[in-house]
Amino acid sequence: MELYELNLLMMTEGLKAKKFSASEIFESCKKRIDACEPSIHALITRTDDTMPTFNENGALAGIPTVIKDNLCTKGLRTTAASKILGNWRPPYDATAWSKLKDAGSILMGKANMDEFAMGNTCGNSAFGPTMNPNDTSLVPGGSSGGSAAAVSAGYVPFSLGSDTGGSIRQPASFCGVYGLKPTYGMVSRYGLISYGSSLDQIGPFARTVRDLQLVMSVISGHDNMDSSSFSDRPHDFSYNEKASVKGKKVALVKEFADFTLDAPIADAMKRTAKILEDEGAVITEVSLPVVSKYAVACYYALAMSEAHTNLERYDGVRLGYTVKDARGIKEMFERVRSHGFGAEVKARIIAGTCLTEPTRCEEYYVAATKVRTLIAQEFTRAFGETDYILQPVTPSMPGKVGEVDDDAMKGYEADLYTLPVNLAGLPGLSFFTGYAGNLPVGLQLIGKRWSDSELLDTGIILENHLGSPRIANGGVK
Amino acid sequence: MAELTFTPVIGIEIHIRLKSDSKLFCSCSTNTDAPANTNICPVCMGLPGTLPHMNHRVVEQGMRAGFALNCGIRPKSLFFRKSYFYPDLPKGHQISQCDLPITTSGYIEVHDADGNLKKIRVHHLHLEEDVGSLHHSASDGRLEGADTSYVDYNRSGTPLAEIVSEPDVSSSAEAVEYVMTLRRRVIYSGASDVELEKGMMRFDANVSMKCSDGRWGHKVEVKNMNSFKALERAIEYEIVRQKKIMLQGGEVIQETRHWNDAKGITSSSRVKENYRKFIVEPDLPPLYIDQEWIDKVAATMPEMPDVRANRYVKDWGVSQEVADVLTDDRNLADYFEDCVKAGANPVRTANWVRTEVLRVLNEKGVKISDFTMKPETLAGIVSRVDGKKLSTTQGKEVFDWICANNGGIDEAVKALGITEGGIAGNALADVIASVIAANPDVIDEIKSGKDKKGKKLKFLQGLVMKETKGQAKPQEVSEAIEKALN
Amino acid sequence: MYLTSEEVNEIALESRLMLTEQELAGAVKYINNFLDALQCFKELDLKDVEPFSFAEAIECPLREDKVIPFADNEAILHESEHVDGSYFKVPRIMEE
Ligand SMILES: [Mg+2]
Ligand SMILES: [Zn+2]
Repeated sequence: MELYELNLLMMTEGLKAKKFSASEIFESCKKRIDACEPSIHALITRTDDTMPTFNENGALAGIPTVIKDNLCTKGLRTTAASKILGNWRPPYDATAWSKLKDAGSILMGKANMDEFAMGNTCGNSAFGPTMNPNDTSLVPGGSSGGSAAAVSAGYVPFSLGSDTGGSIRQPASFCGVYGLKPTYGMVSRYGLISYGSSLDQIGPFARTVRDLQLVMSVISGHDNMDSSSFSDRPHDFSYNEKASVKGKKVALVKEFADFTLDAPIADAMKRTAKILEDEGAVITEVSLPVVSKYAVACYYALAMSEAHTNLERYDGVRLGYTVKDARGIKEMFERVRSHGFGAEVKARIIAGTCLTEPTRCEEYYVAATKVRTLIAQEFTRAFGETDYILQPVTPSMPGKVGEVDDDAMKGYEADLYTLPVNLAGLPGLSFFTGYAGNLPVGLQLIGKRWSDSELLDTGIILENHLGSPRIANGGVK
Repeated sequence: MAELTFTPVIGIEIHIRLKSDSKLFCSCSTNTDAPANTNICPVCMGLPGTLPHMNHRVVEQGMRAGFALNCGIRPKSLFFRKSYFYPDLPKGHQISQCDLPITTSGYIEVHDADGNLKKIRVHHLHLEEDVGSLHHSASDGRLEGADTSYVDYNRSGTPLAEIVSEPDVSSSAEAVEYVMTLRRRVIYSGASDVELEKGMMRFDANVSMKCSDGRWGHKVEVKNMNSFKALERAIEYEIVRQKKIMLQGGEVIQETRHWNDAKGITSSSRVKENYRKFIVEPDLPPLYIDQEWIDKVAATMPEMPDVRANRYVKDWGVSQEVADVLTDDRNLADYFEDCVKAGANPVRTANWVRTEVLRVLNEKGVKISDFTMKPETLAGIVSRVDGKKLSTTQGKEVFDWICANNGGIDEAVKALGITEGGIAGNALADVIASVIAANPDVIDEIKSGKDKKGKKLKFLQGLVMKETKGQAKPQEVSEAIEKALN
Repeated sequence: MYLTSEEVNEIALESRLMLTEQELAGAVKYINNFLDALQCFKELDLKDVEPFSFAEAIECPLREDKVIPFADNEAILHESEHVDGSYFKVPRIMEE
């Protein structure tokens, strides 16, 4: 067994017991990246040239990691997979990354993603697509596709991504790793390049649920620099041996029953429900009529309205891609933005601008904020009746790399199972259930706000029954 | 046909810099005089991934400024993003409370054309961040014709209060009184120093005209006024321009116009201002202000200057003009009231402060806070002059001596050789005799009857007063001279 | 059709985006499909529904008014190709 194959917990324990050294881990991971990266292309920037010094007493001392390239890294190029950021080197670290660094983690690279996190294939990057390490002809999912692929292929035992409407959970499911979208406000967003600010949340990928716990215990908690991060919430992610689902209610969504699912996913739903039932949980049903019918429209209306204002700052004056021969400021802005942004981003900017125009604002943007209230209320009601909601992450298995849907809205509908969680600020765990042939199949468990640590406890119970994913082949012949 | 008359309908928007050490959403210094682009950080530069963090003191300053305008405080207010593209606006949008502001409505009182008090309603005051500053490379420093602009982001993110009036202003004079009163009130509240020369107060005006034939002209937004004078001139210019159009039967176009101070004209703004509906700022939760906090800040509010001036006029009989001067500076008014509290006559003290104290401050180029004479001392001088223990001239000499030497009144009297009660009787007669002896030609003129207007007589009186160092009573001097000449 | 290509182009320019003919055609289709999907809001009675702001009652945290200078403003300036001396230099603002 190679060192890179160790999961996070085994690595930290082995390092503590001096079974191997941090530099041996570093070299092993680096070799693995060298082997897979040509066929996976999970990283925009590699930073594993030489091993840096690190805090040897931290909780993650010597553990290699990869973070999504929309997390700012001081002095190191951060692109959000967009041409418009050029070679921007932020003069500061994102809080989540600085916490990992303080804990002794070592950065191996910045992960590929859909430009500004807009997409669910990781094919929408100015740096080209990332491939699924289980089958390189397939997409890894997105937008945090690079972060998911890196963990799946064994580059690193854990990584960070961000989830605005499923961008952690969907690639975790496609790549066969665990991914947590934490409760909104659990992890500081400072230094995360915003897409939809009220929906964005940073979270971890790992190959075991216990590893997610370890990472969450480091990155969660209040941050003065993020006014939406909560100060008075407990965030104890230590392993709970006595965790049980006995007597807990796990609900399926009534309205989702009619929707078609790919066979492996439908099968996984049945098996998982059975396991939970055998463990003493009560399988029930909740009704989410507004969510099932209006969440997709609501989500995209709000995400684009917020996104277009978040992207107004890219004008070529202070950083990134620019032009120097414009005759007027308007021409400069137009040229920078027209050439700097990719097609999907431009489409969403125009949509967001359109929805918030004075003449349409009430009809679309304000209406969407009200629909969001109804959705949040619906979840509050549902969680009065159940402890968890079990549902798919996506209705279908990953598609081919390079396949583009002609109707964008159809692609958006594939996010129905993930994005309501962001609208209501809930935690969602994407977990591995087994393989269908070569491909992993993931599902999603959703909890109440701030129930992240119990959610992970339950994830461990599921993992014990369903087994942990293996390291993907990573395109190595 | 009756002659057409026009009534201007004017609303004013004011931006005032609120006083704080650090910026609104980051910890950079608010010192905009620092070398360009030194007081900047990732937050106020709008760098990707940064988030705003609200300044506690600015909230209080907003409350104070609100109280100064007779506004109420809203227990819950919200921040929005106001979008437009401009190089001095780092995020491409300004974080502003425009739609759910920190204050409710208020008002300011001004004098109308007939001298009666009139309320100008304040719609609200809201908090927002300022933009960076632009320097243009055209020879006259203006936008038009400039090839390049230079941006300094030191000002970006400094805290502003935007104050929006209802369209209750009907003349440029009312507009100026409104902004001057408002400025004094805000300074009194401690919310801002409103140093005009530092651009801490900027004005926009919405001007439209109502015609006696029932026509209403469209609203024109005039921007870019940075002084009281500019505001006054810009409004005057617009009134004349719009009236002319309407008299010719034309229609005033609804538009934004820029005031060009050098040329003294407004011109149509060629930059299209696109006003988007504001989206809620997702990075800032609502601002809650509880009653306890409101009460605490309200308790620190001083009496407002115009209220104070009116009290001086009404209760103490001080003239409006003098009362206005005294209350212009909160510390000066405090000084004046301390003198009155020490027992001096208010009207006479007011005049003393107005003339003597301000003269000395002017000469020395200092503020009232640097003035060393205790209010009790000035009260003592005024009372002694009042009680005729000192003549006015002696009083002023004592005042000057104390200003120069920092002593008490008795000390000053002794040092100046003043006999309290003055020179009279034989002593006065001796002085008059010597003055007469020294000016034979003046005496001749008076005796020949040429001094019809009594000018020469006054001249003699002046010489006597001078000789007696002001310690004689003028009435007695004049009688004694006439007696001596006859 | 909710928006014509002219209207979409105007919105694009408002966002400081110049679209090629092909991009514009795509954007028109995209926006209209999108607006079509949003028509479903009309089925809901939203009259008395409060707009959503935060997932739960959270107050705007307030920080002390204390100056903490950013250590490295040079690093910020260094990232711009428009820095001239200590200023950011941009082309003229008024259009012809
Ligand atoms: Mg404003
Ligand atoms: Zn700053």
